[in-house]
Amino acid sequence: MTLKKHLVLGLSLVMLSFACSNDDNNNEPEASGAYENGILITNEGGYSQGNGSVSFVSMDFSFAENSIFSKVNGKLLGDTVQSMAFHEDLAYIIVNNSQKIEVVNRYTFESVATIDAGLNNPRFMTILLGKGYVTNWGDGSNPSDDYVAVINLETKEVTSTIPVEEGPERIVSNGTAAYVAHKGGYGQNNIVSVINPNGTVLKTIAVGDVPNSLVFDNLGRLHVLSEGKPSWTTDETGGKLSMIDVNSNTVVSTLEFGAKQHPANLAYEGSLYYTLDGDVFKLEVGSASLPTTSVVQGVSFNYMTINNGVLYGADAGNYTTNGTLKSYDLTTFAAKNSKEVGIIPGGIYFNN
Amino acid sequence: MRKLVYIFLGLVIGNFTIAHAQLDSIQQLDEVILSDNKLKNFSKGYKITVLSDSVLQKSNGSLTDLLRYNSNLYFKESGYGMVSSVSFRGTNASQTAVVWNGININSQLNGQVDFNTFNNSNYDAVEIRSGGGSVQYGSGAIGGSVHLSNALSFKKHADHKVKMSYGSFDTKRANYQLSTGDEQWSVNFGVGYVDSENDYKYLGSNKTNVNGQYENLSFNVNAGYFLNNKNVLKLYHQSFLGDRNFSGTRVAPSKSRYEDTNHRSMLEWGLFHNNLSSKLKVVHLFEEFKYFENKDAEHYSFGNVKSFIGNHNFNIKLNDAIEVRSILEFSKYIGEGDSFGSPEREAFSATGLLRHQVSDAFIYGLNIRKDFTSGFKSPLVFSADAEYRFSDSYTLKLNGSRNFRVPSFNDLYWKPGGNLDLLPELSHQIDLGQEFSSRFFDVKVNTYYIKTKDMIQWIPDNTGLFRPQNVNKVKSYGAELELFLRYHINGHQFNLNSGYSYTVSKNEATGKQLIYVPLHKANLNFSYSFKAMELVYQHLINDEVDIIGGQLKGYNVGNIGLAYHYDVFENVNSILQFNINNLYNSNYENVALRPMPNRNYQLQLTLKF
Repeated sequence: MTLKKHLVLGLSLVMLSFACSNDDNNNEPEASGAYENGILITNEGGYSQGNGSVSFVSMDFSFAENSIFSKVNGKLLGDTVQSMAFHEDLAYIIVNNSQKIEVVNRYTFESVATIDAGLNNPRFMTILLGKGYVTNWGDGSNPSDDYVAVINLETKEVTSTIPVEEGPERIVSNGTAAYVAHKGGYGQNNIVSVINPNGTVLKTIAVGDVPNSLVFDNLGRLHVLSEGKPSWTTDETGGKLSMIDVNSNTVVSTLEFGAKQHPANLAYEGSLYYTLDGDVFKLEVGSASLPTTSVVQGVSFNYMTINNGVLYGADAGNYTTNGTLKSYDLTTFAAKNSKEVGIIPGGIYFNN
Repeated sequence: MRKLVYIFLGLVIGNFTIAHAQLDSIQQLDEVILSDNKLKNFSKGYKITVLSDSVLQKSNGSLTDLLRYNSNLYFKESGYGMVSSVSFRGTNASQTAVVWNGININSQLNGQVDFNTFNNSNYDAVEIRSGGGSVQYGSGAIGGSVHLSNALSFKKHADHKVKMSYGSFDTKRANYQLSTGDEQWSVNFGVGYVDSENDYKYLGSNKTNVNGQYENLSFNVNAGYFLNNKNVLKLYHQSFLGDRNFSGTRVAPSKSRYEDTNHRSMLEWGLFHNNLSSKLKVVHLFEEFKYFENKDAEHYSFGNVKSFIGNHNFNIKLNDAIEVRSILEFSKYIGEGDSFGSPEREAFSATGLLRHQVSDAFIYGLNIRKDFTSGFKSPLVFSADAEYRFSDSYTLKLNGSRNFRVPSFNDLYWKPGGNLDLLPELSHQIDLGQEFSSRFFDVKVNTYYIKTKDMIQWIPDNTGLFRPQNVNKVKSYGAELELFLRYHINGHQFNLNSGYSYTVSKNEATGKQLIYVPLHKANLNFSYSFKAMELVYQHLINDEVDIIGGQLKGYNVGNIGLAYHYDVFENVNSILQFNINNLYNSNYENVALRPMPNRNYQLQLTLKF
C-alpha cells in the first residue's frame, strides 16, 4: 500500500469509516523471544492508527506469534511498518509514518537502537559495503526533496543523504552498487537510480512506468517489473519487464504487457514469477514473450516472494483485520500452508 | 418582552394558533426566535433537545465540548481541537446532518462535519433533533440532526456582549456580539477569535502534544427588515476561518497543517398573507480545505465546493387544525480539488409536509420528499410522526422514517478510487419517546431502531486500491435517557441536566459492534447558584470502544467551574468565571493514540451592556 493510497484514506476519510468492526483481541501467550529459523512478516497496520507490527511464523507454519516487537520490548512498534532489512545479527525495521527505524536483534527482537533523525518518509533499506541505504520520499507532496539516507551501521545514525529523483521505493544491492526503483511517490516515475558506494548517483536508467519490484538473477542481471500507470491517471499504460545489464547499466531487453495489464511482485528463484490480475505467472529468464497461462490462480497478494522452492504470499484481506501468510509448493503449485498474521502484511523475510 | 417578540413572530409566520407544548423542552423557548420554524412545527413526534443561549454562554470550549457534555451524542476527536466527528445513535460521521438556520451544511466533500469548525458564541441556540430527518433536512439526517440557529429580535434594543478568556496551553478566546434593532428591523453581529498553543502534557509520559496549535476567526452577521407587515427580508451570513496544525499520535509525529474556510450566506424573503405564507431563500455556501503535509513547505493539496441553493417554502393553514407546506429546492454544487478535478452536481427536491392537530392532546404529521440528483438515483423518503399528550406530565412521541445519505464528492470523484456507480445509503427507522414532566423534573426516554443498507465503505479491490462500495448493512438500536432536575429554595438554585445512552450498532454480516461506538455513555451537568455565585460541575463517562485491532479503554472526565456575577457599572453586567477542566487529571484518549488534555485552567470574563 503506497502513501498515496494512505493519503486517500487519511484525508478523504479523515474520520475513519465506522462501518468496519474489529477482530477480538486474542490473548496470546508471552513472547517466546526465539525467532531464528522462521519467517518474519512486517505488517503495516492502518495508516495513522499506530497498529503496525511484526509477526513470526515457523518455517513449517506450525507456530506463529504476532506483535513480537511490542511483546518483547513492552512498547508499540509504530505507525505503518513498511519493511525490514537484515545486517549481521540485527534487523532494521522501517516504520514509515513514525519516521524511524527500530533496530533489534533479529533472533530475540530485543531493541538495540532507534534511528529517528535524518529520515523523512523512509521506505526500504539495503546494505552495501557495510553501510545502510534507506530510500526516503521526503515530503510526499514535494517532488524534489527525495533522497537516500546513508546509515552508519556501527553508530546507527544517518551520516549523509543522496538526493534522488521522485518517489524512490524498493532498493537492492549486488555488492557493488545499490539499485533504486522509483515508483514515483504520490505521482508516477519510470526510472531506476544506480547508487555508487561513494554516495553519488551513478546513473538513472529509464524503465517502464511505476517500477514496483526488482530482483537479480543468478547471472547478476537485474530484472525490473513496472506496473504501468493506473487508469485513474487517465494516462493508463501497461506494465513492462526490463532486464538490465549491471556492467553497462543499460536495459538490454524489455517485455511489454497489455495496455491495461498491471503486474506486480516480481520474484526470482531459477525463474521469474509475478502476479497479474489475481494470478501468479512463471517466466523463464530470456523468454521472448510473456506467459499466457498462470501457475497459481485466485490470489490477492500484497507482497510475494520465493524461498527454497516455496512461494510465499502476504494477503492483506480487507486491510482492517488481520491478514494471512500463505505458501505454495513451486513444483506442484499446490497451496501448502497459511497462517494468520497482523494487519496489512506487506513484507516477508527469512530469518535463517 | 422577548416573549412578546416571539408571539409577534409566531403570529406573523402564521402558525401560532397551536400553543407550544410546554413539554417540548424545559429550556426557555421564549429566549429564542428560531430561524427554522419547521424544526418546531413539523417535528412534533421527535425528541428535540434545545441548548439555549444561557447554556451556550456558559460553555467555554468548542461545539464538540458543548455537545459532548450536554447531549447523548458521542464524539471522536483526534486530539483536542483537531478533527472531531460525531456518532449519533451509533451511526457514522456522515449520517448526522448539521443544519445552519434551516440549511444542511454537511461537507459536500466528505459528507461530514468537523465539529471543531464552529464557534458556539456565534449562535443563539443549538438544537439536537433525534431521529431520521431526511425529508426535512436532506442527505445525512439518519441518526439525527444538529441545528445551529440565529435569532432575530424585533424590538427596540441594543445589547453588547464581550467575552474574553485565557487559560492553560496559552489558550485565548475573545468574542464580541452586538444585537440591535427595533420593531421594523433587527441586526446582530458577532466576531470570535480563538488561539491556542494546545501543547498539553501527555499524562503518563514525558511527551507533550506537539504540533497541535490552532486558531480560528469567525464572523457572523444576521439582519431582518420588515418592508411592511406582510413582507420581511432576512439575511444570514457566517464565515469561519480555521488554521490548525494537526498533531500526530503517540507513535507518529506530525508536521502538517490544515486550513478551513467556510462562508455561508442566505437571503430570505418572507411573505405573509392571512393563512398563507411563502418564503424564498437564496443560499450560497463555500467550503474549502488546504492541507499542508509539511507546515513549513509551500506544497499543499486543496479541495473546495461552492453550493448555490434556491429554496421555496409555501405554507397554508387550511384551518385551525391542519397546516400543509410544500418545499421546492434546487441546488448546484461546483467542486474543485487536486484529487478530484472539477466535478459538478445538481439536485432538485420536492417536499410535502402535513401537520394535523386532531385534538388538544393529539398531533400527527406526514411528510414526503423526492430528490432528483444528477449522477445517481435518490430514493423517495417519507416520515410520519405523532405526539399524544396524556396529561400535563406525560407525553408519548412516535416517529418512523426513511432516510438517505448521498455519496460525497470524495466517494464519487476521488482519484484514485472514486466510484460513479454508488447508490445513496438508505435507512429505515422507528423511534418511540416518552416524556415525563413535573415542577421539579423532566425526563425523556427514547428507544429506537435503525436499519441502514448500502452503506458506503472504502474497501480494497483485488489490486489493493481502495474504492468506495455500497457494501454494509448496519443495524442500530438503543435507548436514551435525559433527565433534568431543578429545585429552588430560599434563593438556592439547583439544576441538573444529564443524559445516558445505550447504543448497539452492529455490522449485520459480522454481528460485531462497529468501531468507535461506545455501548454506554453518560453525561452530567450540575449547577448550584446562590446570589451572585454559581458553581458548575460537568462529568462524562465514556465506555470502552472497539477499534481496529483492539479496544480503546473507557474514561471518566470531570470539569468544575465557579462563576461570580456582578455589576461593574450601572447597566454593565459582568460574569467572572474560573474553570478547571479535567479536574481528576484523567489520562484518556477518545481516538486511539491521541491523548486528550491533562488538568487545565481557564479564566473567563463576560461583560454585557
